[in-house]
Formats: sequence, structure tokens, C-alpha cells
Amino acid sequence: MVALLAIAVHGPLLLMQLPAFAAGSQTQMFLAKHYASDWFGLWNPHWFGGFSQTTSAPLTQQVVALLSHLFGITAAYMVTQLAVVVLLSLAVYRFARVWTGARTAPIAAIGSIFLGSLALLVYREGALPATAGTALAICGASFLYGFARGNEVLSLIKAVLLLIAAACCDSMTAVYGILLFALPTLWLASADADNEEFGERRSPAATFIRGVIVLAACAVVSGFILAPFWSSVFHSSHRLLSPDETASNFLLQGSNAVRYWIVPFGFMILALPYLFLSGFAARRTRALFLAFFVALVVGLGTTTPVAKYLLGGFDNALSVELFTFWATLLALPLVAVLVLELVTRYQQRAVILVWVAAVLTFAAPLAWMTYHPSTENRFRTDYIANFLNRDNHAQFRYLTLGFGSQFSEVASRTNASTVDGIGDGPMLPEAREFGVSHLDNAKSYGSAGMEALRAVLKHANQYGLKFIFVRDRYYEPLIAFAGWRQVEAYENGNVTLWSKEDVPPARDLNTHTTLPGIERVLWGVVPLLCLILALLLMIATPERDEEVEIMALPTTGTEPIRTQEAI
Amino acid sequence: MTKLFDTLFIILTLACAAAAQVTVPQQATAGEAATLQVSGGGTLYLVGPGTAIKRDVKSGEVTLSADDLAYAGRYTAIVNGRAQSFYVSPAKPQKLSFMARPSRVPVAQPNVISGAVFVLDHNDNLVTAPGAVKFELGVNGQAPVSQSVPTKDGIAYIRAASGKREGPAQFTASVGDIVVRRIVQQVASDPCNLRMKAQRSGNDIAVETDPVRDCSGNPVPDGTIVTFIETTNEHGKSTVDARVKHGVAKAMLPALPGATLSVASGVVLGNEIRWGGQ
Amino acid sequence: MKTSAAIIFTIVLIGLIALGTAPHAESHTKSDTPEAAVHIFFDHVRAHDWNDAFAMVNPGDGVTKESFVRDIAGTDGSLKTISSIQKVDTKTLNNSGSEANVRANLQWSTAVGAVHETRDFKLTNSGGDWKLDWSAPQQVQQAADAKPVQTNYLRWDVVSSGSNSNEWGVANAEPPRTRIISMNAVDYNGSVVIMGEVVNEDTVPGFVTINADLIGQDGNSLAQESSFDKISHTLLPKEVSPFRIDFPGRKLAEVKSVKISPTNLLVPASADPTVGVFDQHIEKDATGKAILRGQLTNQSGLVVNIPHVLATFYDKSGKVIWVSDGYLDQALKPNQQVPFAVDVRDDIANQVQNYRVTVNYYNSSRS
Repeated sequence: MVALLAIAVHGPLLLMQLPAFAAGSQTQMFLAKHYASDWFGLWNPHWFGGFSQTTSAPLTQQVVALLSHLFGITAAYMVTQLAVVVLLSLAVYRFARVWTGARTAPIAAIGSIFLGSLALLVYREGALPATAGTALAICGASFLYGFARGNEVLSLIKAVLLLIAAACCDSMTAVYGILLFALPTLWLASADADNEEFGERRSPAATFIRGVIVLAACAVVSGFILAPFWSSVFHSSHRLLSPDETASNFLLQGSNAVRYWIVPFGFMILALPYLFLSGFAARRTRALFLAFFVALVVGLGTTTPVAKYLLGGFDNALSVELFTFWATLLALPLVAVLVLELVTRYQQRAVILVWVAAVLTFAAPLAWMTYHPSTENRFRTDYIANFLNRDNHAQFRYLTLGFGSQFSEVASRTNASTVDGIGDGPMLPEAREFGVSHLDNAKSYGSAGMEALRAVLKHANQYGLKFIFVRDRYYEPLIAFAGWRQVEAYENGNVTLWSKEDVPPARDLNTHTTLPGIERVLWGVVPLLCLILALLLMIATPERDEEVEIMALPTTGTEPIRTQEAI
Repeated sequence: MTKLFDTLFIILTLACAAAAQVTVPQQATAGEAATLQVSGGGTLYLVGPGTAIKRDVKSGEVTLSADDLAYAGRYTAIVNGRAQSFYVSPAKPQKLSFMARPSRVPVAQPNVISGAVFVLDHNDNLVTAPGAVKFELGVNGQAPVSQSVPTKDGIAYIRAASGKREGPAQFTASVGDIVVRRIVQQVASDPCNLRMKAQRSGNDIAVETDPVRDCSGNPVPDGTIVTFIETTNEHGKSTVDARVKHGVAKAMLPALPGATLSVASGVVLGNEIRWGGQ
Repeated sequence: MKTSAAIIFTIVLIGLIALGTAPHAESHTKSDTPEAAVHIFFDHVRAHDWNDAFAMVNPGDGVTKESFVRDIAGTDGSLKTISSIQKVDTKTLNNSGSEANVRANLQWSTAVGAVHETRDFKLTNSGGDWKLDWSAPQQVQQAADAKPVQTNYLRWDVVSSGSNSNEWGVANAEPPRTRIISMNAVDYNGSVVIMGEVVNEDTVPGFVTINADLIGQDGNSLAQESSFDKISHTLLPKEVSPFRIDFPGRKLAEVKSVKISPTNLLVPASADPTVGVFDQHIEKDATGKAILRGQLTNQSGLVVNIPHVLATFYDKSGKVIWVSDGYLDQALKPNQQVPFAVDVRDDIANQVQNYRVTVNYYNSSRS
């Protein structure tokens, strides 16, 4: 039923392809397109003058690539995202059942569908990898409890497969998310170890250590599979963050407080006093509250010094947003208890109010997105793609300036290569000197960005950079003084094409690296294999509700406890 | 045993070859039909420039069509291993391929226009037989200058001086009644006798050139840069890169006593004016 | 237990927020020193908070808030309108307690790259807070009696070919003839610098780019660079432009030869605007550095949004010994004069016998 509700709520929005133009989803589709055409050939020539796909964790892109053969790339993305939302609700159901009992689990699962933070990540950021990684990590953490506390081999296998798959979705989830969900769960398993209510009495320390060993083993295996990714992370040079990517102080910038904190939490903010009061007080939920507290604090960005120390090089706005998402997910079991108490006490009035709050919490981010779209005045990119794909224009490289989230859209449609890119690809030496990774948005980096752009344009001939598509007229003076001439205009002159005559065709930049065959096979096969096996096992061996004991949280309700399977 | 068969095969082939005879035409022209005399019949192979034909022929006269002999050059006819070569000459001139350089040239310059003509027949074979190409160069309203140049190996080449009048010059090459025309734009040369006059205009000096012309009297094109320079000891230097508009260039310079005004365009210097009045 | 835990966590949260916010909140909130006042002033400018910025100045005669905003934020699509202050370094030159002079090294992020500016501010102490004395911008002079004329009439005849057919030998119009009329190569500041002048000898406008390839002693290419923005790309007939190509991290001793390859293209071009460069003279600035100063006067009917000054310096033999350039942050309106200044290399200032200033430009209006 929860799954059906998730489909009913998110299905139409994804069917409308609401996140299709988010920067993250465009990037995912661009990367997925490469897997769809060449699964094991990890060298993608279209960005950065050529880069390795191993600069980004592969699993969600591979799933989209696989499904794209059935639905086309955009629909495949939407189908994958919908599956992730459904999986997330089921994962939260399992997670909440472990923490606060079977009565609260459906409430928490329903709550996860209406999370404002989820809506923002899915529809505005296009953060498929993060949401998928989180769903798998939560699921894995709940199975880890089953293994650590109950010594169930099947749970062990499921936990291992799910946690590896989670790590293969998203680097932030791999580093922080899994720990944030798994460690409190292990703590709970060890707390429950000497309680016969939860099964055979065991040693708390051994329970905890057993779980930690599994976690460590998962880390080693996923580290091995993602070795090329971690290698590129550790060898990547310093990158500046544009103001849009910077996790700002919410007290000093009220608009960011709304965007990154109030909208994601929604009406859950009203539950914060309850979480603080009862979260740490109850022995069983103490670790859950601590994890929530950590996520809450890191999710405040530079409002506190914690995010900077904890995240290091990852302290960008999306990371902070992800921690807020995790905070809301970690709070759900406790919020579900509160909802249950309210419903028990106030009956129908509470039900109505809670539903209204949930719907408004979900609607607020969608409304906010309408009034603060990530890309204003969207434009058609097919003219640009057509130009690049005809008359051998693709033998030259191109650059876009001011395209925003539609940067990836152009890259997806054309055969030509750009010197720019998104993510952790290899920056050109000229841009690396200034730490500017995304030239399309050069002006937002201030003088460093414009100097990086100047430096790259100075060596346009060496890179075969002949064509520049300009959507922000801010850049026109520089390229005009630098020797480009406007040759075409699109979209009533809002997008212009500039060309430089003396640029020779692009040549290979000799940055091509070929991974050993074994690494390519591991990269191409194991993540997907783990995911498929885990899902098959979960479907083939559904757990019976009575196997999980009802948690010893006091509720004042008198209604009979009704448990149900989520699927 | 194998050796015996090989010997027999060679003997039979030679016997057949001896039986077949091919006689080629003494004179053939590209794009015109010709006949071969074949005795004995068999398979005819005709190999020539851009041509390779295989055909079964009977003993007697074999007609090669105009298309078979479209290209001039040496052909070889082979019938049953007997080969004969013959030469196909280009036909009469039908086309001229005319390259004229440059497309734009200053007036009154010696040997700046070059023209090269390739004389071709209707199948684009280079007509190597000696002939003459008549070149003519003239601007509208003036009698053209003409010169006849003999071809060598089908090519005629000329270098010519540009005329004294600007305008699109008709550069034609002709052989008989075949005429090909190219346009060479004759443009004004560097300005000549660049002169300016100056007069007070409020607190400034209005400087204006006489109509800017080259040494042949052609007006320089609009947009040509004329630089006015004013130099004083006290106020340093002032310059205006003015554009020629309607044949003259104008600018305003500060009226400074004792200033020296000069004018230049490109590498050509004009007159100088000493501005002494208040 | 319930309440105390909640209180502890709340206190921890508030403490962390205080720790994270205090450093930002404390910085530059009080203009109790001249340098702090300049920093706060530019913080307001950065945030486009014109009310607070204007509140920090002592307006001089004729300075209104509107004129102040025009002065600092720019008008008419000038470079200033697409600039933002990036970095401010200050140094107090003198401070008498009631008056102070502060030198500010400003780094602007502009549409053409980083632009550095040094400005001296005079500040007055009023009731413990320092305020910047803000005088009216240097009066933009009207060039008297100049008659702006916009040209619609141009006579450029470009003949493409004499035949409409596709036959061999028929070619389109050739690119304009350009010629490099002088060239020089020097070592400067750890770079090899190639400079010179290029002239359009043709009768039609051309679009010129110059690329240079340094050839090493072993005959292999050492580095390739282009004139980039240190040239006026569009050259009208008989127009001369300086060019400069920098090769950072190279030494002239490594170089066997230089391969220069100009690229010309026939382009349409406007004969406007005409910009006069008046009162050109070299002088020393406050720091003792040689500067070429002058006034630009727009003698046409078009606004020039972003003027770019290119200065060529010659020695007594007429050889080009340096080329420097600078962007003006003010627009050139018709008939108005705007001052400019470009650097002169101190080590060659004594050798400079002559100089020539040309003005390149960008106009935001599209045809």
C-alpha cells in the first residue's frame, strides 16, 4: 500500500518529467547515455576534452542506461527515480520497524513519501544517485540489524549487497550516509542483544563488533570496485565553489535558510521540540537521535563550524542538502511515534491535521521551485545540437557560456566535444590554476572564473575550441575582444554563436587513460549485480512481520496493533 | 604427369593467341567512335585512362563508341592475349578553365594580375595541341587591353598590369568563340597628395582633408583611416583616426596655440599645418 | 532526564550556531578605523546596498545619491556595469585622528577578466565613524561644436566572382591584404613577448588575428600563443593596430625563431565610431610609476560601451619597444571626453621616443 501511495504521489510528477531539466538529472542522463552506447568503454570524449566516467559512482547511471534501451533515456531516468522513491518508502518502513515498532513503520514510510527534502532533491536537484544510495543504505542498515542481532545469514547477504550497491550509487552516501544509518542501527542491535524480547540473548559487544566487521568488509569491497573513482577523487585538484554551490550561513542569508532548511523540513520543524525531548530520553532511540542531531547540525551548512570540519572538501550546498535529507529520514521513526500519539489522543482531528501537514510539506518545495526555478527562460537546444552535428562542425570543440542546467542537455545531444564539464573530471591546466571546474558558469566564481576563462580562450587553438555559444551577454565583451565573431543567433537572439576562424580541428589531448580489464569489468558488472541480487533476494524472501518484535516505546493508544507488509 | 598437362595448356594458349589478331586505328580522337579489326574472335579487353572494358567480340570490325574513348591518352586493346596500343588525341577546344588572381587589386600596379587558362575539350581533356588564347582586361567605359598568348601543353599564362581606373575589370580569356570572363576588382591605391585644411570651430580646430584620391585620381574607399595628429610641447599629442566618408575625412582637434597639425593615411604622409592663432 | 537532555542538545546547537556565525557577524561592522570604513563601504558596494554605501560618504558639491550610484555602478553598458568588487586591500597613508588618507588596491571582477585599480580615499572622522569624502566624478567634458555623425553610407565594393557557375577556377573574394610592418621580441618578467604592428593594406575591412609559434633551438615548437585581446581585430582600410603576444615561462635564449601566422578574414565593418585621443602625455603617478595619460573623445553619434586602449611605444629608431593596453570602465558617450591611463614599463620609460594610441571597442547593441 505504501508503495502504491508512493507511485500515486510521485508517479504523475515523474511522468510529467518534472526533474528532467534539473542540473543533476541532465548530468546523470548524459553519463548514462555513454554507458548505453559503450558499457565497458569508460572514456567519454564529450566533456573536459575527454574524461573517464569513473569520476562519478556508476550504479544509477548504469540502471538508467540499461532501462534506456526500453524507454529512451529521459523516461528511463524517471522510471528509475520512481523506483527509488518506492524503494525509499519501503526502506523507511523497515528502518522504522526496527527502531520504533511495526505500528509506527507505515506512518514513517508514508511520511517519507511526503518529505520536503526528498521533493527538493528529486525534482529540483535531480539527485538520483543520492536518493538511490540513501534508500539502499537504509535498507541495508535494517538488514544489518537483523544479522547483528539475530545472526541471520540471509540478512547478512542482503545487507552486504545493499550496502555495496548504496556505495556504488553516490560517494557522499558511501562515505557518510551508510555510517549515519548503519552505526546507530548497530548500536541498537547491541543494546537489544541482552534483551530476550528481541530474541536469543547475546553479547552486546560481540553483536556490535560483528556488525562493524560487516561494515568494514562492505567498505573494502566497494572501495575495491570503485577504486578508479577514489583514485580520481584523491588525485583531483582543488576546486572553487560558485556561490550557488556554497553552503552559506543561514542566519546571515535568510533566503538560503528558507531554501536549505525550512522548505526541506516543512512541518517537521514543529516536531523538533518533541524529537529533542523524547529522542534522547528513550534508551532505544538514543543513537537514532544522535545520528539525527549530527545530520541536523551538518545540514545547517556554515551556520555551524561542524560541516566544514566533517565534510572537508565535500562541503558544498548539495552535501548540506543531503544531510538535511538524512536528518528528516532519521527523524521519521520518532515523528511517526508522535503522530501515533496524536492520532490516539485526538483521533480524526489529528489525522486530518497530520495529512494536511504532510501534503503541505510536500507541496511547499514544488511551489518554491515554481517561484525560484533553477533555470529561468528555458530554451531549445536542438538548434545548437543541429549546428554542431552538421558540416563536420563536431571536429572542433565548443564551449557554452551561461547555459546553466542546460549545459548537459547540449552535451547529450551533440557529437562534438567541449572543454568544459561538470563534476570531478580533469580540468584543463589553465582552469586548474584557478580551481575553476565549470566554465559555463565562470562569472559566478568572480575574477578567478573570468581569469580561468581568459586563460582557456587564450589557448583555444591548441584545444580546437572554435565555437562558443553564449546565453549570457556578460561574456560577450571578452570573447569579442579575444577574436571571436558572432556568426549565428538563435531563440530571437538570446543565444548567439561565436566563431574563431583560425582554429584548427581539435586533436586528442593525450589525457586518455585506459583502466585494466579487471577494473573495467568490476566497474561495469559488480554494482549492477549487487543491486539485482539484493532486490531478487528481498522479493524472494520477504520477512514476516511477526519476526520483528514491536519496540518497547510507550504509546498511549488503546487501538489494537496492526502490522502489515509494505509490498 | 602434372608437367605434361602444363605443357599442353601452354601450347594450346599459344595456338589460340596465334590465331587471334587485333588491328588498332592509326588515329583516334577523344569522344569520337573508332574501329578495331579483330581476327579470330574472343574476348576484348580495352584499358585506357579511366577506362577498362571487357567485351566478347567476333572476328571482324569492332566499333568502340565515343564513350569508350572519352578520355585522351594511351589505350591498350587485348584480344586473347594479343595486345596492341594506340593513342587517343584530345578533341578540339570546347572549354576554358580560367583562374584569375587576385580578385581585388590596386590600380596602376605592374604585373599584379595573373591569369592562367587551361584549354579543354568537351570531355575535359587538356588540349595539348599548340594554340593561342586571347586575354583581355578592361574597365567599363575604357578600351580593353588585349594580348594573345600561345598555349604550351594546353596551358596559357599571363601577368598583366592593373589599369588606372578603379572598378570591376572584365578579365576575359578566349579561344575562338569560347569566352570565359572573370571579374577583377580594381581598387584605389594608396592615397596620394594627401592634403588637409584647418579652421577654427569654437574652441576646436576642424580639420578636413581634400577629397582623398590615389595617384591615378581614384577616390579611396570609404572607411579608409586617415590619422590627424596635433602636437604641442605643452599638451603632448592628440590624434584622431578619422574615417573617409564621402571621399573626405574630418575631425575635431583641440585648438592649441603653436600646435603642429599633420595628416597621414597608412604609410602615406600628408601636409603639415602650424596652428599659431588664438 | 527528558528535559535536561533536550536542554543540553539545544544549548549545544545554539553554541555551534554562535560559533559558526560570530566570525562573520563581527567582521567589518564598525567603521571605527579609516581602513575598516573603506572595507565596509566596499562591502556595501559589493552587495549593491547603495543606501548604506551612500550613508558612508560625505558627498561633495553636486553629489547626489543618484550621481553617486551612477559613478560607482556605471552607466550606459560600461564595463563598470558588469563588474563587481572582488578584493580590497587597504593601507593608511596618514591619519590625523580627524582626517585620514587610505590607499585602496581594488580588484574588480569584470566581464573582461580581473581589473586592478588603486584609489586614494580621503576620510573624515565624524563622531567616531569614518566617512569617505566623495567628490563629483571628474566632469566629463563636452567636446565643443563636435557634430556627431553616424554613417550609414559606405562604399566598399567586394566582387565575389565573374561567374555563377560552379566551375573550377572561380573563387570567392580573397581576404584583405594585411602586412606586419614591424616586429620585436623581448624578454620581460619571465616571459617572451612578441610585439609589433599590423596594417590593413587593402581597401576592404579585415578581421585579423595573429598567432605566433616559438621555435626552439632543436627546431621543435616550444609554445603557441595568440594576440588574444592585445590587438584591434577589426581593421578598416589603412588602419594600423599594434599587437602583443606573451609567452609566459619562456626565455628568448631558448628560441631559435618565431613563426608568425596572421589570419585575415573579409568582414563587414562599421566606420563608426571615431574616437579622438587627446592630450597624450607620459607622466609619473603618485607611486612614481610612468603612466601614459590622455583623454578619449567620442566624435561619432554612437555610444561606445567598453573602450579598450592600445598604446604602442617606439624608441628613437622607430622600433616598437612595448605595447600596453587597458580597458576603460566608463562608456564613451557622443561628444564626451573620458580620461584614460595605461602603464608604461618603467625600465623602458627613458627609451620611449614616441607613442601611438589606438582605441578598440565593444558595443553591446547588436545590428
